[in-house]
Amino acid sequence: MNRDEIPPGTLYLLILKTLALHGELHGYEIANSIQRSSDDVLQVEEGSLYPALQRMLIKGWVTAEWGTTAGNRRARYYKLTTLGRKQLALELSQFERVIGAITRVIQTA
Amino acid sequence: MNAIREFLRRLRMLFHRRQFQADLEEEIRLHLDLREEEQTEAGVAAAAARRAVYRRFGNPTAIKEKSYMTWGWAWLESLFQDARLAVRQLWKTPGFTITAILTLALGIGANAAIFTLVNAVLLENLPVADPKMLVRIGDHDDCCVNRGALEDGDYSIFSTDTYERFKKNNPEFEELAAMQSGFRFNPVIARRDGTDEAAHSVSAEFVSGNYFRTFGLSAATGRLLQDGDDVRGAPLTAVMSYSLWERDYGRDSSVVGSTFWINTKAVTIVGIAPQKFYGDRLWNEPPGLYMTIRSMPFIQDAEYVREADVTWLYLIGRVKPGTAVVPLQQKLSAQLKQIFSTSSVFFSAHDRPLLDRVKVRLTPGGAGIQIMQGSYKSNLHLLQWIAGLVLLIACANIANLLLVRGMGRNAEMSLRTALGAGRGRVVRQLLTESIVLAVTGGAAALAVSYGCTELLLKLAFPYSKDVPIHASPSPAVLGFAVGLSLLTGVLFGVAPAWLSSRVQPADALRSGSRTTTGGASLLQRTLVVLQAALSLVLLAGAGMFAKSLNKLEHFDMKLNSTNRYIVRFDPQAAGYATTQVGALYRTIQERFHQIPGMVKVGISSCTPMEEYNSDGDVQIQGQPFQYKRSSYIRANEEYFDAVGTRVVMGRGIRVQDTPSAVAIAVVNEAFVKTFFKPGEDPIGAHFGSPGPISPGDFMIAGVVEDTTYMDVRWKNHAMYIVPILQRTASDKRPIEKVGELYVGAIVLETTRPIGNMEAITRQTLSGINPNLSVVKFQTFDAQIADRFTHERMLSRLMTLFGALALLLASVGLYGVTAYTVARRTSEIGIRMALGADRSGVVAMILRSAMAQTMIGMAIGIPVAFYGVKLVQSQLYEVTTVSGGALGLAVGTLLVAACLAGLIPARRAASTDPAQALRAE
Repeated sequence: MNRDEIPPGTLYLLILKTLALHGELHGYEIANSIQRSSDDVLQVEEGSLYPALQRMLIKGWVTAEWGTTAGNRRARYYKLTTLGRKQLALELSQFERVIGAITRVIQTA
Repeated sequence: MNAIREFLRRLRMLFHRRQFQADLEEEIRLHLDLREEEQTEAGVAAAAARRAVYRRFGNPTAIKEKSYMTWGWAWLESLFQDARLAVRQLWKTPGFTITAILTLALGIGANAAIFTLVNAVLLENLPVADPKMLVRIGDHDDCCVNRGALEDGDYSIFSTDTYERFKKNNPEFEELAAMQSGFRFNPVIARRDGTDEAAHSVSAEFVSGNYFRTFGLSAATGRLLQDGDDVRGAPLTAVMSYSLWERDYGRDSSVVGSTFWINTKAVTIVGIAPQKFYGDRLWNEPPGLYMTIRSMPFIQDAEYVREADVTWLYLIGRVKPGTAVVPLQQKLSAQLKQIFSTSSVFFSAHDRPLLDRVKVRLTPGGAGIQIMQGSYKSNLHLLQWIAGLVLLIACANIANLLLVRGMGRNAEMSLRTALGAGRGRVVRQLLTESIVLAVTGGAAALAVSYGCTELLLKLAFPYSKDVPIHASPSPAVLGFAVGLSLLTGVLFGVAPAWLSSRVQPADALRSGSRTTTGGASLLQRTLVVLQAALSLVLLAGAGMFAKSLNKLEHFDMKLNSTNRYIVRFDPQAAGYATTQVGALYRTIQERFHQIPGMVKVGISSCTPMEEYNSDGDVQIQGQPFQYKRSSYIRANEEYFDAVGTRVVMGRGIRVQDTPSAVAIAVVNEAFVKTFFKPGEDPIGAHFGSPGPISPGDFMIAGVVEDTTYMDVRWKNHAMYIVPILQRTASDKRPIEKVGELYVGAIVLETTRPIGNMEAITRQTLSGINPNLSVVKFQTFDAQIADRFTHERMLSRLMTLFGALALLLASVGLYGVTAYTVARRTSEIGIRMALGADRSGVVAMILRSAMAQTMIGMAIGIPVAFYGVKLVQSQLYEVTTVSGGALGLAVGTLLVAACLAGLIPARRAASTDPAQALRAE
């Protein structure tokens, strides 16, 4: 099955949205969740998830805390902050504006 | 706000780097494990599963690196790495490192010390409020108590009357304060009432009531002087300086309000001056007490305070904002001319034409009265230049060392480049090394400059207790010096690296070190030549200053200082009236003669080689007034023997020259030369002050040789010496008003050196009267040595700098020669294999080392000649570079160059040809 790379710059949006939907998740879960929600179309370059998460930590959009998985293993769980929610709204509106514009261009063609 | 939080998060991460790395590691491992389990559960074989997982995840190491970089500390990390590597590299070559750091430390340290002194002495303002608004009326030092008109008409010192008129008529001044110009010559004797404290000498300054207000100061405790203290009939009050309060009274608060006996008068201390305030001028003994002008006639019996024609005050005012200086200066000049022209006391008929020239100059008053600045200015500027030259040599040295090092590492750099290091990275590494070196050198320089400044202060102001200059280098000075060293380091550290990194690494590695021409570059040789030239100039300069000092110290002063002691005392301050001093002087003579070993007890108003002078116009009876002056002193009959002045004609002063006897004077040979024609017999001639009343005041009874008073440079210094108690026939003043009868010095001659002479002197004087305290006690030799403080400081510093320059130049020469030898090892090996003998090799190496030194000297010698012309004013009877000094400088430089060249040359000669050729 053919999987598509995610468009550049949308990784933050995807992570933010995923966390907003599911609450606390660790890195592996985030990757899986994005993949599942996109019906296996979107494939996160799994490694790139981690630098992105670090950047979001710096920005204060997410916080991280160590917890235990269902399989009783230590994992770092990420959670949205208020700032992260605001950022999500911002990125969503931005994304919709861009997509809308692109769609209009394509349809007139 | 967010940016700050973000920065704090980054910072927290920096401090928990290890934890961060571990967390990330664990997180990624979990991810990989879970994915692998998922694959395995789906039935993929283990090996294939792992491959798939990694393919999907990417390179974990790269990811970790990238995550880490996100936090933005990578640069710091690599800087640390570079610095660590730099320290390791420097550690591996201790010879180079120590030389470089020492060079920097000495070069920068010496400079920082000199600049600190320059800053403190020449550039700093008084610690007062808003110093920019202070203006001084006057521009030079006309100390201390004067009468009569000035030739050039430029007035800097004023009478009490003039001060009051200026103050009243010039609303441009918010405040105008007056201060005694010559306080350093008139310390007071003080004793705290109700304590067992001995009466002792304290430096005191008499000032106007608004003095402290003008400077915008407030008391440390109590109050400062006010206008109310400076009115006729006001109770006697004084303000004590903070440093005296701290040093002698341990900051005892009960000092304020207490009574002190000052020159036997009861004075109330009303307050303590602010801690940092050291008076209105930089001086090595700042005032310990401040009293008002009005109290001066009571305390120091100084009648001249009330005389309208005696000038003795410096004036500093605080102008109102927006006051233009030029109109104010014109206004004040006009007022002064007006004052002089309406009064007959200032200008005699002869001086009338001088009235047109009368003027004042306004100068910035923020730094106070700049007497010390004036006397040290040329010395300090010279030292600045010299220190600058040394810094230049130091920089050349560093440049040379770094160049040598950089080229020596060509191969290493090529190898690094070949192994994939970017050029930027290689250059950055070298840059870091240079910076580490410069920073370390800078830190060492800090220590050196502290020490040097202390040393300089000791050299410049020996024996003084409260010099208001501190040894801490100013940040600006250090910043400049360290900046310069950084620049040198960066420039000369990176240049070779940059050059070598441009070479194709393969070429560089292949070419090896087999070369005959690859010695030191032209740049390096030029630097060595420059160093040699500069150090020759400095060495020759040091020789000239040493010669000048030697000439001064060995000048025949026509005196004898062996086993002699000079005691300054003050009978007026001890409460004696002029009617009582005759008996006092006799008692002093008697009591001192009772001390075993005492030979002569001279008493006089002033002594040879002391900074003190009284002079006046002299007219020989029967001759027209020639507008010539002579200094005069009062002395008793033992004085000439006590100081070692020989009588060459007639007689000296005798016991019989009492007040009732005929008034006589003994003149010196310069006096005879000045006032008489050659061959004329001065004995029996009369002279006195010009005018009709007194030209017959003194009969010349004898002639003495020209013992040096004041300064060795004062040639043909006419002097006359009168018997200590005699008064002239024309002097009709009541004896109470004849202040000249107070003299200030006792000269003791003993048969042998007496170790505790000072204690004995104090006992003897206080045995006569407890208030008779010693103002100053010195051996005659020490008094003479004191007069050469400036010259000695200059000479020592010049020698120091000369030696430093020589050392640095030698190190530079050694570095270049050693480098050349190392580069030419294989060439030398071949030469020796082909039959060159050792001495030939040594000669070859030495020849090139000496050639550089010679060229340096050829440049240095004319520069030295030119330099001496520039500093001639600071030398005594030295007009050009002498053969001796130059020879010594050339010799020293040659020996140093020989040594610096010989060590590597010998190493070259001991090269084993076989080994040298195999070494690659």
